[in-house]
Amino acid sequence: MLEFMDYVQHVFYNASNWNIDNSYSQLTATARAILDFETPRGLRFTASSLASPNFATSYNLGSVGLVDGSFSYLYSSRVLQTVSKSSQIDLHSVIRGYRQIKELRTPDKALEWEEWQVGKRTDCRDQLLYGRLYLPLSTLEALYLRRISPTQQLKLSAVSDGRMRNGGTILALHQYDVGKYSTESLYSTDGGLIGVRGLYNFGPDPRKQDPDLTRMEERFYGRFSAGAEMYYGALNKSGGVSFGGRFATLPAHKGIPLTATVTLNPLMGNISSTYAVKASKNLSLCSQLDFNVYSYESIIVLGCELWRMKAPKDKKWERSMEAKLAWKLDEVVEPTISVPREVAGVLKARIDQNWRIGLLWEGRVKDLMFTLGSSIDMKRKDQPFRALGMELQYSS
Amino acid sequence: MAFNFNWSPLMADADFYERAQEMLTTALNKSPKPPIIVDDILVNELNLGSIPPKLEILEIGDLAEDRFRGIFKMCYTGDAFLTLQTRVQANPLNTYLFSKPSFCSPQPLAASSGLTIPLQITLSEIKLSAFIIVVFSRQKGLTLVFRNDPLESLKVSSTFDSIPFVRDYLQKEIEIQLRTLMMDELPAIIHRLSLRLWSSEHSAKEDESSVARKEKAEDEEVPIDPFSSPPQDAVDARGNVLDANEISSLSLEGGSEIHSLFSQKNLLRLAALNDSHRTLSLFTPSIRETVFRAWAGPSERTDLASSATTPAAPNLMRTQSSLGNSTTYIFNRGSHDSHSISSRPSLVSLPSTTGLSLGSGRSRSHANRKKRNRVINLRKSSKTTDDIMSESGDSDTASTILMSEPAIGTQTITEEPEDSIIEPPRTPSRVRFRTSSIDLGDSPRNSRILTGRPGLSFLSETVPEQVIVEPTPSIEKEESDHIEYSRSHRPVFTSLDGEGKSSLASKPFEQAPTMDSAPGIVEQAWLLKMAGEIARHVHDEKVSRQGFWCNSQREDTPPPAYQPKA
Repeated sequence: MLEFMDYVQHVFYNASNWNIDNSYSQLTATARAILDFETPRGLRFTASSLASPNFATSYNLGSVGLVDGSFSYLYSSRVLQTVSKSSQIDLHSVIRGYRQIKELRTPDKALEWEEWQVGKRTDCRDQLLYGRLYLPLSTLEALYLRRISPTQQLKLSAVSDGRMRNGGTILALHQYDVGKYSTESLYSTDGGLIGVRGLYNFGPDPRKQDPDLTRMEERFYGRFSAGAEMYYGALNKSGGVSFGGRFATLPAHKGIPLTATVTLNPLMGNISSTYAVKASKNLSLCSQLDFNVYSYESIIVLGCELWRMKAPKDKKWERSMEAKLAWKLDEVVEPTISVPREVAGVLKARIDQNWRIGLLWEGRVKDLMFTLGSSIDMKRKDQPFRALGMELQYSS
Repeated sequence: MAFNFNWSPLMADADFYERAQEMLTTALNKSPKPPIIVDDILVNELNLGSIPPKLEILEIGDLAEDRFRGIFKMCYTGDAFLTLQTRVQANPLNTYLFSKPSFCSPQPLAASSGLTIPLQITLSEIKLSAFIIVVFSRQKGLTLVFRNDPLESLKVSSTFDSIPFVRDYLQKEIEIQLRTLMMDELPAIIHRLSLRLWSSEHSAKEDESSVARKEKAEDEEVPIDPFSSPPQDAVDARGNVLDANEISSLSLEGGSEIHSLFSQKNLLRLAALNDSHRTLSLFTPSIRETVFRAWAGPSERTDLASSATTPAAPNLMRTQSSLGNSTTYIFNRGSHDSHSISSRPSLVSLPSTTGLSLGSGRSRSHANRKKRNRVINLRKSSKTTDDIMSESGDSDTASTILMSEPAIGTQTITEEPEDSIIEPPRTPSRVRFRTSSIDLGDSPRNSRILTGRPGLSFLSETVPEQVIVEPTPSIEKEESDHIEYSRSHRPVFTSLDGEGKSSLASKPFEQAPTMDSAPGIVEQAWLLKMAGEIARHVHDEKVSRQGFWCNSQREDTPPPAYQPKA
């Protein structure tokens, strides 16, 4: 489950028309959500609030043996109109599961962002400031996010920690996304790491024409994307390269939605493939196979995600007072829009070839959103439960 | 003095290697491993090689059969090697991300995917150069501490020798690991190994000390009766073996009965030996089942020196003939200034000849002090020596002075050094001995202070008064007192001033003559059996009361230098 601050950041991305899915780093987002979910440890409680449309606060208290916590503040220059009450937040927006990719969007024109008033430009760029202080570790996280232009975004994140070498690190990330392709370049002060990522979407260019409607008749209406990433650590003379490709069906696809990815690390000889299907409206299945051609090591992970919906409440049909007064029956009104059913909870489970099992149950009880998780190691008969935890979130 | 270090038996012992491998494996896996190492480190092969390390003795603080303390300079350029096996993460990006907070990580998609490779590392051409402090005690095992970083260089050869980055990284990481291993883990390993080696004795000693502790609690204030633990094979005046009942019936008060415990013949021989010593005659009466000891320590040298110089003073010569030099020295000090001065140069030379450290001199002096007490016991118990004393001493009070004198000496001395041992004034804090912070390097300086002290002329004025002021009639009390004041306390004088300075400064020198006791050598040998039990008890009490260091200052039985023809 997303933390409240991450949720607010996603709201900011949506509000500023930024497609975070169109990035090479999000190529395997579906598999990560279903297979690599984090199981909570210990007890953790978060109380958050979107105090004003521009400002959010969050307080976090946890106990894993000893009590720790954090408090964080977020400021956004853009007004964030969103549901912030934990009793009303749509769980689909905070629980990451099978990620349905969207049709590519034509980016905003730079002209559209301009605002003129009495011959002067009055528009300013959207930006977001975020800070979080962990106690008693005294670790400080800071984030600065700025939409430079409709196609560009700058993200500066920093961590200050006395226990780290040089006392902390800063990561600068510049993103450029025109829909058809996107590139990212990054620099980290830690080790002088320079990185470049790029993603190219095959198919029609959203900037030039409307989506080709004839292609919807194909058996698989989807999109193929390919990308690569490259890193080089200037100080420690190390680097890394990987290539990846993804095929995913688009929402207009008539059959079962599916996502398949392959990533390849030529330096380390690692091949990883994932395959995920949304078998039904409430069930997603995913598998991952990793293989290393140098060491012949392989990993297979299977996972599923099951959404449980609350049974729709049958409205007790009663004659209304007007109908009674008028001595006639109520007019039968056909429900035009089916009300989306309330989510009771989401169960995520994964298992790998070493019989390590991860379980996660996420849902909502009254005003509290909860995450209950455990990781189990069946190989260790004496102590199978490796971690057990519960997280509670309240926001207003 | 020579030490014999056996290197080859270590190589031959397969069991030793097995144990050492086991311990190294646990030690290597204990400290948090760098992220590049993803598996446990296993010690595959260990070989100490055939070339032993070169050891240079810098200082020996303490030396006896069952304990040893010293500083060595060690150089090692041998052919020992060590093979380790583990699995490492070959992807540098993976290890790079390992320690980074996720908030600031670049979050690569697949570039950080891992590749674990089994790795075999051979450490060879190990060059060590270090100052080692070795402390050995049969009870507490062997403690070995590196005073500086011992690792000079080593060659790391591994599977990745062809990749310079990985090779350099491994070399660096392994050197760091090895340094921590040497400085922190190795002393613990060696200590554990040594304890295992002497484990039976260790446990036995512990039992013994606990028993002694109980006993001590019982007779805390009661003076120790030397006959509470009777000699093992005592004989009466006619040489008939006494049985246990007879011995138990003996007591200190019954002087005549005790007298019969020692053979007249032997006592006569002892007296003859005594005389031959005093007269510098070369005749040595043969006494059966006795061991003659040659003291290699400084006290002996002072013995010789004083005996060589004292003939120049006729006063001393006269008194010497009646008693040992030590005691006569004390007697004469009050009246004959010239004599004490004449004998002084030799005494002054004593500490300087010590050379290495005061520690050895200290233990020696304690040995002699103890020995001297035994002599007193004998005299008290056997009337034969009494006439010798009265012959030499002017009066009865003189004899009491004589007897009480060493006790006074120890009392006054131990009061001061008590502090100086617990917190040595200028001790470098680097030394890592556990209970006490005795710095071996400090002792030579102290000895130098001792030698350089000019206030020797005070000796004659101040000391006799003190000696006479404090006559302590009960010898048994004295003995217990004397032993309670630990022999381990070295006479270090760092905070002296005024009168106390002079008197205290004179003490060690006053004590020094009491150390040499030419007649005492034989008498000690004779009384060893009888006194052994007492000493052991007393020592064990001391052990239970005091810490590790004092422990090591155990009952000293120096090795026999030569044996008489019998």
